[in-house]
Amino acid sequence: MPDNFPEYIQRVIEYWPALFESLWETGIMMGFAMVAAILLGLPLGTLLFLTAKGQPMQNIFIYQLSNAFVNIVRSFPFLLLVVAMQPFIREVYGRATGDPVAASFPMMLIAIALYARFVQQSLLDVPKGVTETARSMGASIPQLVWKFLFVEARSSLIIGFTTAFVSFISYSTIMGVVGGGGIGDFAIRYGYQRYETDIMYTAIIVIIIIVQLIQWWGLRLAKKLDKR
Amino acid sequence: MIKMNNVTRTYQGQDGEFNAVDDVSLEIGENEIFGLIGESGAGKSTVLRFINALETPTSGVVEVDGTDVFSLSKKKLRAHQKGIGMIFQQFNLLNNKTVRENVQLPLELHKYKDPLSVREVLEFVGLSGKSDRHPSQLSGGEKQRVGIARALITRPKILLCDEPTSALDESTTEEIVGVLKRAHEKFGMTVLVVTHELNVIKSMCERCAVLEKGHLVDIIDVVPGAGRPDYESYHQRVLEVLKNA
Repeated sequence: MPDNFPEYIQRVIEYWPALFESLWETGIMMGFAMVAAILLGLPLGTLLFLTAKGQPMQNIFIYQLSNAFVNIVRSFPFLLLVVAMQPFIREVYGRATGDPVAASFPMMLIAIALYARFVQQSLLDVPKGVTETARSMGASIPQLVWKFLFVEARSSLIIGFTTAFVSFISYSTIMGVVGGGGIGDFAIRYGYQRYETDIMYTAIIVIIIIVQLIQWWGLRLAKKLDKR
Repeated sequence: MIKMNNVTRTYQGQDGEFNAVDDVSLEIGENEIFGLIGESGAGKSTVLRFINALETPTSGVVEVDGTDVFSLSKKKLRAHQKGIGMIFQQFNLLNNKTVRENVQLPLELHKYKDPLSVREVLEFVGLSGKSDRHPSQLSGGEKQRVGIARALITRPKILLCDEPTSALDESTTEEIVGVLKRAHEKFGMTVLVVTHELNVIKSMCERCAVLEKGHLVDIIDVVPGAGRPDYESYHQRVLEVLKNA
């Protein structure tokens, strides 16, 4: 920290455009990750639940395949996952570095795998009687999922999403290595590599505030929706 | 009419195979109230679940109105299940839905020709004022009334009751038995009741089957009776039972 506060404020103002840009980059990566988690992670987690042994769509092949996918992605050291995906990203997106959209590909992959696991756990917590009741009424699989399981699991699905979101932020801080930018990269570049410790802590505090806000808001929403 | 011929259900247990249901044959008439009694593990709930295909027999035939339930395609099976109402020991309500939404649920899954309205059916089970409550705000007896309303709203031709009163205290049990008897009188359907409580069978069933370790050992014509005298209060019941007052 600099000796006096006005000097610190001066420096924050000076770095503000760069900080703002890095927040925008984080936002892009987080946006892609969240959309992927909902559009693909949620169905994948539901599939994991439905195809497991003793469940309505029991299918060992599909279950093992999706289970292996989730395990492999989640056990990959994230930095190596980022590197390993470079050729693929270059192929589909045109460039693999220096761009937050390119950096979003590994973010999306980990988001899908991570949230799928949370979704599976949430659905396992729904009492078995709920599935049995749906079957006794002759519900189809989509009706079972939308009108029974997601209704009873909704607050736990939101809490899982909040937890996943916080992990995504953590993952996003690595993306500087491929020039993806973001708030984590900002903290490392200015604070660690240029010894501007005050700016580094400022960035970290910004991250902490974001995490706190999301966590608080997620829990509040989950509580509001929980009528159990 | 419900007909079972030599129905067996085999499970893989820790010490090899065992038959939870062993060579059971029975016939239940149209509009009858039929009981299935036995100790826990006797296989009575499994027999009940054959009728709406929640359980599948290892061998044997289950017929409902002349149709072999386990020869049906998936789509036809759902149509078969659509006409059968079921109530459960643990009520199995959706806790995130209101009473009204719970009762309405079956109508959201299928089209029914002439269903009851939520208002009618809640009035019938005596829950008129509670349609906007959530299950967590209800007592056990009230929850089971919601379960019954949810089963009745479709005017089912068969009503399956799996230990409907086993999670309830004695006076609530009598209330629920009363609601089920009225439902049978008013709407006319075949009712199957699985229970280990003999009083429940005594006060509502015409016939009942006795199951022991998966075997059907007897079918009894029940001599009707109130089951138990009416007490004015819980306190009176306690005095009667504990002090022979």
